[in-house]
Amino acid sequence: MIRDITIGQYYPVSSPIHRMDARVKIIITFLYIISLFIVDNIMGYVVVTAILGAVIYVSKVPAKFMLRGLKSILIIILFTAVINLFLTQGGEVLWQWKFLKITTAGIYMAARMCIRLVLLIVGSSLLTLTTTPIQLTDGIEYLLRPFKKIGVPAHEIAMMMTIALRFIPTLLDETDKIMKAQQARGADFDTGNLLQRAKSLIPILVPLFISAFRRADELAMAMEARCYHGDENRTRMNVMKMHSGDYKAVVLTAVYFCLTIGLRFLGNTVHFWI
Amino acid sequence: MKMVKAEGLTYEYVRVLETDHGTREEKVAALKQVDIEIEKGDFVAVLGHNGSGKSTFAKHINALLQPTGGTLWVKGMDTKDDELTWDIRQTAGMIFQNPDNQLVATVVEEDIAFGPENMGIEPQEIRKRVDEALETVHMSEYASYTPSKLSGGQKQRIAIAGVLAMRPDCIILDEPTAMLDPVGRREVMETIERLNHEEGITMILITHYMDEAVRADKVYVIDDGEMVMQGTPKEIFSQVEELQKYGLDVPQVTEVSYLLRKEGIDLPADILTVEEMVGAICQFKSTT
Repeated sequence: MIRDITIGQYYPVSSPIHRMDARVKIIITFLYIISLFIVDNIMGYVVVTAILGAVIYVSKVPAKFMLRGLKSILIIILFTAVINLFLTQGGEVLWQWKFLKITTAGIYMAARMCIRLVLLIVGSSLLTLTTTPIQLTDGIEYLLRPFKKIGVPAHEIAMMMTIALRFIPTLLDETDKIMKAQQARGADFDTGNLLQRAKSLIPILVPLFISAFRRADELAMAMEARCYHGDENRTRMNVMKMHSGDYKAVVLTAVYFCLTIGLRFLGNTVHFWI
Repeated sequence: MKMVKAEGLTYEYVRVLETDHGTREEKVAALKQVDIEIEKGDFVAVLGHNGSGKSTFAKHINALLQPTGGTLWVKGMDTKDDELTWDIRQTAGMIFQNPDNQLVATVVEEDIAFGPENMGIEPQEIRKRVDEALETVHMSEYASYTPSKLSGGQKQRIAIAGVLAMRPDCIILDEPTAMLDPVGRREVMETIERLNHEEGITMILITHYMDEAVRADKVYVIDDGEMVMQGTPKEIFSQVEELQKYGLDVPQVTEVSYLLRKEGIDLPADILTVEEMVGAICQFKSTT
């Protein structure tokens, strides 16, 4: 059962979004997140949602995969909504009980934060759904390269991510094996209160950690045997290349970014969001 | 020039022992005055039981360990020279026991590219080498697989392809089949033999499986850090008692013929395979 956990959430279809350069996708996602905080009125959110919907349609990833990502953060969204609902001051008081009160400004703020969070999660999960983990790592390595001068270990971060991705299934397998071995000798992982269950995990974690360290040692040796010596003089088999689609995406993103700024000022002057 | 040549190769390390009176340091020699000469294109097996020093010896050829005494040359390059380390590792590739712990990337072809990438080879050339290496180990259709979806034997063949892509003259295999099932073992052994015969790559197989050592051109036996026996498989395995002294078995048929000979049945001492045994017994029957 432990094997069902999928690593990353890449959805393998061929679409213009999938074919895009990972670096471009990362930058666009970054700009998109900034744009969510520029937009602050209902009309702006409608426009952003419509554009995001169109991009999802083009990506050929079923909408239910997008929403699956939301399920896991539902609690955070609700929590944010409740906090904002009660703690925002100002506007007309609609309901009051002792120190708790709901104001129009609170409702507006809560709604705005929820929409922002949902758009944020859906938008950024589009990146991981359409980009393989390797492309993602390569993209991050490339984009971090300028920061090497100030001591950001770009290559090392990317190598760590690659190795982590490589060993997650291996270690999951191992966990499964250890659990079964413990169960065969009468260990019980499924009953008892939270504390007892957490305690019963210790006999799994200890051998797992020991084995992980041994693996790390052996892997380091194997990497050295294959001439690994950091990113000095290192080349790559797959060279990242920008295609015409990437340039088009960049232009469209620039247009989109201007649009969100425009919508913010429009909303502020016209006030038709209430 | 010899592929691998060792003269008085010694490796000592300090082991810290916990005793009742605190800790005590003890010098342990894992390799003692080993002399060896391996010709280019040879298929050599190094036998020894656990802790005999055979793995330590393997790591010296790849410059993962440096001798504390004596010298080891790989294709004329002294492994003690730090500037030659990368050249040595490129010349003598190494395969380890655990197939899982030597694959780096999440995709097979990316993993094979790892070595050439480290060597700073041009992208198109890497592509070519990766495709060729996959072809050579008959794994082309698995190029875009993730290693965790492959069997042990397949992973080990990918590891071999990863070394092949570095175009080595020699491959050292440190118990490559110890963690594999019989099918995986056969796959790996076939690959090793084929590469030796067809590509002329020198193979140094560290093992404790006798039936693997039988296939080599030359067999060395290491015991307690010393090179105690060397010769062709027939020469080595006909000395059943001596091998047993070093904690090693002989191939099953060889042992049967040894026991039969002890009972007075006149069979040749150098029987290594079932076919040879069948032939010898038939001959024996027809003469009596």
